[in-house]
Amino acid sequence: MDPQGEVTGLLVAWGKGDQNALNELMPLVYNELHRMARRAWSAQDQGNTMQPTALINEAYLRLADVENASFQNRCHFFAVACTAMRQILVNHARSRLAGKRGSGRVPVSLDDVQLAVHQEAAQVVALHDALERLQAVDERKSRVIEMRYFGGLSIEETAEALGVSIITVNRDFRLARTWLMREMNGEQS
Amino acid sequence: MTLKADWVEIERLFHESVDLPVKERQALLASASASVRAEVESLLKTEDEAVFVARPDRLAADLLDQPSALSTSERIGKYQIESLITVGGMGEVYLARNQSGCPVALKILRRHLVASPQAVDRFQTEVRAASALDDLNIVTVYESGDSPAGLFLAMEWVEGPTFRQLMAAGAAEISDAIDWGEQAASALAAAHSADILHRDIKPENIILRKDGVVKILDFGLARLAGPVRIEPHSTGASGTISGTLSGTLLYMSPEILRGETASSASDVFSLGALFYELWTGRHPFAGETPLDVYEAIECRNVAAPSAMQPAIPLEIDSLILRMLDRDPALRPPAHEVRDVFSRFSART
Repeated sequence: MDPQGEVTGLLVAWGKGDQNALNELMPLVYNELHRMARRAWSAQDQGNTMQPTALINEAYLRLADVENASFQNRCHFFAVACTAMRQILVNHARSRLAGKRGSGRVPVSLDDVQLAVHQEAAQVVALHDALERLQAVDERKSRVIEMRYFGGLSIEETAEALGVSIITVNRDFRLARTWLMREMNGEQS
Repeated sequence: MTLKADWVEIERLFHESVDLPVKERQALLASASASVRAEVESLLKTEDEAVFVARPDRLAADLLDQPSALSTSERIGKYQIESLITVGGMGEVYLARNQSGCPVALKILRRHLVASPQAVDRFQTEVRAASALDDLNIVTVYESGDSPAGLFLAMEWVEGPTFRQLMAAGAAEISDAIDWGEQAASALAAAHSADILHRDIKPENIILRKDGVVKILDFGLARLAGPVRIEPHSTGASGTISGTLSGTLLYMSPEILRGETASSASDVFSLGALFYELWTGRHPFAGETPLDVYEAIECRNVAAPSAMQPAIPLEIDSLILRMLDRDPALRPPAHEVRDVFSRFSART
């Protein structure tokens, strides 16, 4: 089966409640996004910044049989792709913190800059960890942050992908980010 | 600790009270159980603006070293961007031209990293301090300002290798090491006499200009590292600390490693480590891992530079060892370091 048919088939199966379909779908989406992210974010392509959202859209066009896909399928794809994008960004941040630098980068000579890169990487990892704790309390809110922050989706796209109203996403987003900030600051009561 | 059982009530109370004045909040929360009230109050007092003010895609791009680079011929204040020099998570440094076409180094601080009023305030205080320094061996800060791209800092354009690049070639010639040592110590002495600390002396921050003048970069701006330095409580992930420090660890004084306040003697220590490396070609605290380096700075008895570089004058040999004394009070002040080198440079 060609990859487009395969992904669409898995999206449909997952839409009908087949959890194994999701397990098969995830690596396909992850690999495609990872490949695209590496290319888009490589040093050679500096002028051409691809944002997570744009990458996810492009991956959808590549992977899904868009002509025959339903609106539902598209929403499901975005949900999976945001999770994959989160993994990609978190893995990248972790390797950053472990001191493995990407290849071919512009050399950095100012040290507040080095610190800031580490700080951003640490923030991404800390957010990921806090998000796992939020997921245990309220799964949907953790998904809202995942889509907004890691997937770069707008409030409207997030509402679409989760099948809830824009008002709900706004409320979820407000509470979730406050909760996460509190967690990340370690001010647990 | 958020309990799932209370979550629905916590959520409802949060949304009902978040936009209310404080007094009305209290009335609303009075009926809730103690644990629910504590949780809601803790959320209400959390400042959530600082982190999420950045657009997520911007942050993701930053993380992947993808600068939101300004394009050539773009204008920042009265400066015209010419080319990108260096990139990092906090900002970029560009070669730019002023109205009369003279080159300047333009440093842009990314907005989301200076989003809090305190950080901006601190930035401006430090810029004022740096602007107050007028010394041949310190990079001159022309002005700072705000632009749509972020806060910017216009500095003297210096062309030449950093000390990191110089030292990659091994130990320096003795006459060079004396000359450079005098100039670097002189810069430090000038700053210290104006009560300004560098706080981040290291080979990457010192440039040998093509005409032989040593220039220290980012004077007084090292404090900028303050708001971005990771504190253990803000990440919750202990593994990140050594990673954060690894870049600067080699030149940190033991008192800074212990979390004590930096003093002028801390700058002297960092410069001493740099001199040691310059004279011998070896770093006094080299180690395989950040932990090894940490232990070395805390405990290692440093061999005299003369053990590796027999040609080093005795007085400089003991001067460098004194600069590396674990006790800040026993280190020589920067002007004394300068004077020792001056005596030798007068002879050569």
